[in-house]
Amino acid sequence: MRKLWVLAIKEVRVTFRDAGALVTMLATPIALTLAMAAAFGTGHSAPISNIPVLLLNYDTGSMSHLLLDVFQSDDVGNLVALDIVDDEAAARERVDAGEVAALVIVPTDFSARAFPLGGRIETILGVDPITLSPDTELTPEQESRIAQAFLETHEATPDNPAIIEIYASPDWRIGTAVVKSIVTQALEMMNIQVQGIMQVMMKLAPGMRQAGQEPSTMASGMENSFGGEERTTLSDLPLRLDITSTTGRSFNWLDYSAASMAVLFLMFAVTSGGRTLLIERQNGTLPRLLVSPTPALAILVGKMGGIVLTGVLQALILWGATSLIGAYWGAPFTVIIAIFVLVLSASSIGALISAWAKTPGQAGAIGTAVTLVGAALSGSFFERWNLPIWVQYLSLATPQAWGIEIFARLQSGKGLSHILPWLGGTLLLTCVYYSAALLGFRRQFE
Amino acid sequence: MPLVEVRKLVKRYAPDGPNAVDDVSFDVHEGEMFGLLGPNGAGKTTALSVISTLLTPTSGTVRVNGFDTQASPMDVRRNIGMVPQDLAIYNDLTAQENLRFWGEMRGLHGDELKREITEKLELTDLSDRAKDRVQTFSGGMKRRLNLAIGLLGHPRLVMLDEPTVAIDPQSRRYILDWVKQMSRQGVTVLYTTHYMEEAQELSDRIGIIDHGKLIALGTLDALTQTVGENETLILKLSQEAGGAALSEALQSQETILQTSASDGEVVVNVTSAEAALPLVVSQASSLGLNIRTIDIREPNLETVFLHLTGRALRD
Repeated sequence: MRKLWVLAIKEVRVTFRDAGALVTMLATPIALTLAMAAAFGTGHSAPISNIPVLLLNYDTGSMSHLLLDVFQSDDVGNLVALDIVDDEAAARERVDAGEVAALVIVPTDFSARAFPLGGRIETILGVDPITLSPDTELTPEQESRIAQAFLETHEATPDNPAIIEIYASPDWRIGTAVVKSIVTQALEMMNIQVQGIMQVMMKLAPGMRQAGQEPSTMASGMENSFGGEERTTLSDLPLRLDITSTTGRSFNWLDYSAASMAVLFLMFAVTSGGRTLLIERQNGTLPRLLVSPTPALAILVGKMGGIVLTGVLQALILWGATSLIGAYWGAPFTVIIAIFVLVLSASSIGALISAWAKTPGQAGAIGTAVTLVGAALSGSFFERWNLPIWVQYLSLATPQAWGIEIFARLQSGKGLSHILPWLGGTLLLTCVYYSAALLGFRRQFE
Repeated sequence: MPLVEVRKLVKRYAPDGPNAVDDVSFDVHEGEMFGLLGPNGAGKTTALSVISTLLTPTSGTVRVNGFDTQASPMDVRRNIGMVPQDLAIYNDLTAQENLRFWGEMRGLHGDELKREITEKLELTDLSDRAKDRVQTFSGGMKRRLNLAIGLLGHPRLVMLDEPTVAIDPQSRRYILDWVKQMSRQGVTVLYTTHYMEEAQELSDRIGIIDHGKLIALGTLDALTQTVGENETLILKLSQEAGGAALSEALQSQETILQTSASDGEVVVNVTSAEAALPLVVSQASSLGLNIRTIDIREPNLETVFLHLTGRALRD
């Protein structure tokens, strides 16, 4: 056991004293993370269709019908597969399970809050204000009551916005973005429609103008919030869009690229580490080790242990460094477990290559090719979920794909129980590659 | 009981390939300095690799201190210290870290390891550079460190595989003196070389190996007696290309026993140098060759090798 530790520590020491290796292991992934986060920001783009979405409409007013109309319009119809539900708890569970991308909840008093004047007009005139036209005739009393109602409702609105909630699944990042976009579009349409009603009312009830008010200065409460962190004024209606999720976290390119670049350069480092076995054989240090009173298997395990230890240290440093610039990797305990499992998995690829390659040069070329192809397939440079499904499945032959999947879940706030199946899959892959590597080592060193 | 027993050792790398070591048998006794001499590719390193358990023999047996290399490789390894031809050290570690690492690999630890490290650093004159990375060392310093690692843990048998290849004369002298010092201290040494002078200077007994076969074995005196009182003339020519022609011309002369030529140097084995010299000079003159130097040598391993193989050792 002591010899294993000595071998592993020697490996770490030699690697961390190599300036070139440090540039590859640490400086490059941090620089690329920053570059990618700067280039892509937090945007999404994906040609997607039939995103499963649930709509729960508690509202009895006419405003929420607009939302339904937008979801069912020709433009949006093929983007989402809308299911109107009435059981909120069950709907939330379906989101939690990742069955659907999001649940859109329209509250009971949505119409009344979004356009309180509309309800008052309906009461005063006995008709839905949306049906009014400039030719409608009002009595002087009706005009006066509408002007009064306008003043009263305007004063009441700013602190009391209507809230549409999008309860989103972290597993459907792009789907959530699409739903958010559709709902935002619906809210904009509501705003335009209300502005139209207001123009009509100005004509029908001049008392409103006499009160010194203009439609554009009505209310300013409509806001869009995302995870409770980002707020942007979208329009003038007292509306607010809240996007919540099972975790409260959303996709972020800095987070994504921090983890994906770390996994990618971990692969570079670890495949390069595996190559050192061949270099040591060429330099004569491996034969010298093999004639020391240390079993060959212990030498192999110690060597691989050193490579794993180096990889873990590399990943921890990258985690720390990217956290300092704002990247979120997940809860610390689960991140540490994920790092260990992923490094182990990456080391199996390094072992496999060095076990079957004949020279360090050959191992280096194969390692680079495997790492870069794996990175392209698994989505190290762009969002993994934008790739065709068959590529996503194919990429599961690489540790990078498992790493990105695991870290994406951790970054969305999910805990250990949610990543256990993925960790299990990664370990299974590791066992397969290490078994193949052992066959190669046996062939080489016999 | 000999410390090393090699019996009918055969090593073939490919099933239908030639024997790299072909039916070799010899013993190395406790405290002895045994030299395995032969040209490059003769099978010296392969033989050493089998003895050190790095390679498994195709057939035959090797025992070290009574332990069979195949049945008890770990016991064999505990008894040996290996100094490979390559500089098997880590350039990114310091001299001290290298010694500590290799000491730990030999199973040393604690005070014993510290003592060994100090001792070996002093022995190699590297105490003042102990904490410097090896990559900053000269070639000679690296060689010394490489040698010191092989001595960690006071192994009963130290095997040196051509330790003086490609080094400067000063470092070479240092290493040869050091090996002699080890021998004086009672360490058993198995040394391979293709330098005749080294084998002559160091070895108590010498095994001459060529094309995988052990063609001669004995003390220096015993080996030179096999070629009788013959002498050797070594001629250096001004024209490199003429060596082969002169060698061929001399070969047909009765007074000439054997000849060989390479790189403008002709080695002539004769019964009497004094009697043969006029003939050799006139033959060279008739071929239009200029002789730069003539060296007359008493019987040595070169002549033994020439006698046994018909080739010079460096061919």
